[in-house]
Amino acid sequence: MSRVLQIAKREFVSTALTKGFIIGAFVLPILFAALIPLVVLLAIGAKAPPIVGEVAVIDRSGVIAEEFESRFFDALESRKAEEKALIDEASKSAGALGGGGASGEMAQSVIDNVLADIQVSVTVLGNDADVDAEKDRLMQPADKDDPSRRLAVLVIDEHAVAERDEAERQPGPDAGEDAGELPRFGGFELFVRPKTDDRTSDVMRDTVREAIRDKRYDLYGYDRGEIQELNRVGGATREITETGDERGSTEDLQQMLPLAFMLLMMISIMIGGGYLLTTTVEEKSSRVVEVLLSATSPMQLMAGKILGQMGVGLSLMIIYSGVGMGALIAFAIQDIVAPMTLVYMLVFFLAGYFMIASLMAAVGAAVNDMREAQSLQTPIVMFVVIPYLFWLPISRDPNSILATVFSFLPPASPFIMMMRVVSSDPPPTWEIVASLAVMGLGVYLCLKLAAKVFRVGLLMYGKPPNFRTLVKWVRMA
Amino acid sequence: MLSSLASVRSKGVSLTNAVELTGIRKTFGKKVAVEGLDLAVAEGSMTGFIGPNGAGKTTTIRMIMAILFPDEGELTVLGRTSAVESKDRIGYLPEERGVYKKMKVAAFLKHMALLKGVDSNGLHQKVMTWLDRVSLADVAKKKCEELSKGMQQKVQFISCVIHEPELLILDEPFSGLDPVNMRLLRDLIDEQHSAGKTVIFSTHVMPQAESLCDHIVMIHNGQKVLDDTLDEIRSRFDPKAVLFEPLNGDAESVERVRGLAGVSAIRESRGGLEAVLGDGADAQGVLRDIVMSGAMVRVELHRPTLEDVFVEIASGQSGESKQAVRESLHTPVGAGAGGEEEVAS
Repeated sequence: MSRVLQIAKREFVSTALTKGFIIGAFVLPILFAALIPLVVLLAIGAKAPPIVGEVAVIDRSGVIAEEFESRFFDALESRKAEEKALIDEASKSAGALGGGGASGEMAQSVIDNVLADIQVSVTVLGNDADVDAEKDRLMQPADKDDPSRRLAVLVIDEHAVAERDEAERQPGPDAGEDAGELPRFGGFELFVRPKTDDRTSDVMRDTVREAIRDKRYDLYGYDRGEIQELNRVGGATREITETGDERGSTEDLQQMLPLAFMLLMMISIMIGGGYLLTTTVEEKSSRVVEVLLSATSPMQLMAGKILGQMGVGLSLMIIYSGVGMGALIAFAIQDIVAPMTLVYMLVFFLAGYFMIASLMAAVGAAVNDMREAQSLQTPIVMFVVIPYLFWLPISRDPNSILATVFSFLPPASPFIMMMRVVSSDPPPTWEIVASLAVMGLGVYLCLKLAAKVFRVGLLMYGKPPNFRTLVKWVRMA
Repeated sequence: MLSSLASVRSKGVSLTNAVELTGIRKTFGKKVAVEGLDLAVAEGSMTGFIGPNGAGKTTTIRMIMAILFPDEGELTVLGRTSAVESKDRIGYLPEERGVYKKMKVAAFLKHMALLKGVDSNGLHQKVMTWLDRVSLADVAKKKCEELSKGMQQKVQFISCVIHEPELLILDEPFSGLDPVNMRLLRDLIDEQHSAGKTVIFSTHVMPQAESLCDHIVMIHNGQKVLDDTLDEIRSRFDPKAVLFEPLNGDAESVERVRGLAGVSAIRESRGGLEAVLGDGADAQGVLRDIVMSGAMVRVELHRPTLEDVFVEIASGQSGESKQAVRESLHTPVGAGAGGEEEVAS
């Protein structure tokens, strides 16, 4: 036993107490977290494309063109204002984080840089303008900052505002037999150049839509302001906690919980298992393995290595979940995670880890180098990826047949069960117990299988093994 | 007390056997690696396993170490039926040996010592003393990968003896060492032997075995072909030829030697000529007669080397030509080491 612990200790120390590991596990996540405000600032501050050119309007309804033109310029103005507000806010929060006076200057320069160059003219064409000819001008190459460049062609339907009467709604003689009645109102068509920035076309589309709608209200005698008021319905979901407190809804967060728990488990297991594979391959390729075997049996070696890397995975899981729980407590919503969930996480972690890790150890012992390990490792990784692929259907309907079947399919089952017990509708207790029993069996089989491959594989050099060879080794051992 | 016991042992007087093998057979798939091997290694002896690469030496050693298990036969190691129970009393230096590249030298040695049940109290001192003895004290804090191959070999040797084992099993201990380090390692092994430890080592380089061992076990194609003390082997394979070299290659003296009583033939040999002795010839008499036959640059009894003995036995047994057997002894290491590759195919 002391040998197993000594091997476990070395395994843990040589993995977890290295610069690379500490940087990867802690420094990088902190760095990423710190970078988020900066990234947000950059995303918001991404310079909007200049809007330079001419929008041609063919207004067959005869009442929209003017309205569109005036509103369009207002919309562009308010967009500018919005952009400026966003940048101000982002630079403020960045400034709070960076805490420097320099951020103020930076924000100003960002604002100056970012605000799009807007030079748009609206040309109202005659009712009888040739749409095709106007559209052709969209195909003509033109300089991006040439004000006479055709930016878009907006065609407003004759019946965009005034409805078609009964007769006009009937399909014309040219229409096919199954052509239905035409709608009461017509709309508009907006033709733009390919690769037009969506923010630009959004402004045009929203503007013309609002213009048409308001004109209809006017025509049919509704009050614009009144309708807006009628459309506005305020409301919010409030949660009542067990202690009787009220708070805003956490349902979005709760929906993410199954995924979060499973990912946390998956990351911890895959990191521990991955290191186990690497160190085993290293021991084999550096030929240190037979030296070790002079002091231990292969089983002691495997047991020690698995335990050591379990320590690595477990430390990661405990630290990360500690940070997560800390965040929940900081927002006073820690009760969305039941204490039992953490117990489940530990149990499922152990079950999942022993299955994955023993298979990883077997692969590591069977191959000569990491390159060969990749292909043999793929099926193992698949078992971990399946729960990830199905997280949405399973967390939406945690008691579906799909979820139930996967719950009894080790090595995928610990991950699936983790999602299910955290979900809004946890499985019945008997199912958890039964699944744990199957996991126990899975752990036993994986360890037994791995032990055989491990023992034979450790001293085999030469041709990389395929599955047939592995089966042969299992029979041999 | 211990030294007197050691001196008794070194005279070849042994009380028990450190290792005993009876009827051992081991196959890898269809290939038979070891067949019907009986072996007894006396306590306190220095036994050499010799034979060409692929003869089954490493397989035998791995079975003694309970890393592999025989298909048939029985073995006892230090009185137990499996080395697993007595690993703390055995020091094993495998042929395929390495170190943890990223580990520091002292840490590696401590790790190995702890695995072998050495008490952690005073372990650091022990490690440093050993490193000092092989003049590596200044690299204790360096990573193993920074060491030269010879240095790594020394570190590995320390890891093999740091727990003061009673039995040392060294598989090709000298492979890849330069002459200086080879001598150092030889002295270290000799020292262990003089301290009364049983030493088994394998080599395919016969002169090494010849200069170190008091007992020789020859293995060829998985079978034991010779098992005796070095002295016994030498006397059994008496000189059967006298090496001579006439001054200026004088043909007349050669003819005179050919005519001597007891000389059955003359053949070319390394750096001279060989007078092959007939059965029952008096080697000393022929030696004297050759000196009298003319002006000679040198005349000497041709003592058979282990290699000669091996070639003699192996070719007689397998029917291969002596040349082929001799060549098989000099194939580079790794060309056919062990029987392991066959399993994977």
